Amino acid sequence: MFKKILFATSATPASDYAARVAFNMSKEYSAQLNIFHVLGVPSRGFSQVVVDVKTKEKVSVDEEYLFGVTEEIKAYYAKYLDKGLDHTIDVAVGFPAREILRQAKDTQPDLIILGGSTGDEEDSVYKKVSAGSTLQKVAKSAPCPVMAVNRPAASFWGGMSNILFGTDFSKTSDKAFDFAVKLAKAMDCELHVFHALDITGLQSGKLTDQDEIEQKIREALRKIRARYQPRLKELKNYSMDVWEGIPFIEIVKYARDKHADLIVMAHHSKRRPDELDRLGGNVEQVIVRAGCPVLSVNK
Amino acid sequence: MKKKILVIDDDLNVSDYLASLFQDKGYQVSVAGNVKEGIKLAKAQHPDLITLDIEMPGEWGPRFYRQLSQEPDLKNIPVIVISGLSGHQYAVVKAVASLSKPFDREELLKIVDGILN
Repeated sequence: MFKKILFATSATPASDYAARVAFNMSKEYSAQLNIFHVLGVPSRGFSQVVVDVKTKEKVSVDEEYLFGVTEEIKAYYAKYLDKGLDHTIDVAVGFPAREILRQAKDTQPDLIILGGSTGDEEDSVYKKVSAGSTLQKVAKSAPCPVMAVNRPAASFWGGMSNILFGTDFSKTSDKAFDFAVKLAKAMDCELHVFHALDITGLQSGKLTDQDEIEQKIREALRKIRARYQPRLKELKNYSMDVWEGIPFIEIVKYARDKHADLIVMAHHSKRRPDELDRLGGNVEQVIVRAGCPVLSVNK
Repeated sequence: MKKKILVIDDDLNVSDYLASLFQDKGYQVSVAGNVKEGIKLAKAQHPDLITLDIEMPGEWGPRFYRQLSQEPDLKNIPVIVISGLSGHQYAVVKAVASLSKPFDREELLKIVDGILN
């Protein structure tokens, strides 16, 4: 299922939990792992002077520096690399999201794994309530699914047996569903199809009648059955559920309840143009809050 | 009747040490080296407490906890996570305690005694 994995890392503690998942997955599925690090952003144009992602200092990029960074990455991940993993290390200069997408285009991985934002290491009001901008940009445009491991709790990898697929019935969700089924079949996993009925909008100005909520739950369940059950029958174990509430909170709660190893969602689609990128979208909020890795599918 | 503790850890040095520590305090101890064995022993013995390592060959500790919590007879057994992995305190949300390796024996015994007595 996963033959080539691109692990984009800052090689800082922000990527440690994603590293744990990336190295374990590569080992478990005998996948080739490409460890990819973006050195920093050129200070101007095509200048060889970059602002180092880790130190935030201006450095001149030459062969010696590139060699030094590669060695630093090897040392940082030595405890994983000692285990005879099939891996390569690449470094690039530029804007992280753009370079990661370029690397994905060049190497055609089956999966990109990304960690939390380096911004999380600093004191910030946005800490833990928004996905990093690199993650958002990569997830939006990547040619393959993107797995995000943001919280430490999401990093306790021990194989995959329980997948949660969260749907909002959009076309992109259908693509994500195809991938979730493929994954569940290949890995012999249980698949839980879940829709969170958004009652936050319904409540504006008045408390929604419970009968109305339950009617909408029944409708959503019928929709899940009609849309997904024919394909779900290909699997040994599956379930379908609808809960009401704030969608991203319900998805995280449901994943916890089902002890999910992985959440699969579409990246997304139903966001209004006026919605702030930084705080928008259920998938971003699920990434930030989930206790397991989140895999976003965009096409 | 002696209270029973199940130790799940793939590192024999750790499991032997924990076993002797608990036995010296008068507890009955059984040891499992992996998740499969742990589940088997938990079902057979219904321990009063379980200490759980996180990273083990094959399935990891959180997977053990999931299986445990799906068994009506076992789901309320208190679990103490003992691990050298960073962030282990987030691994099992409902663990009663989470300790880093190397752990302080007095701290562990205090927690164990507090739960079992």
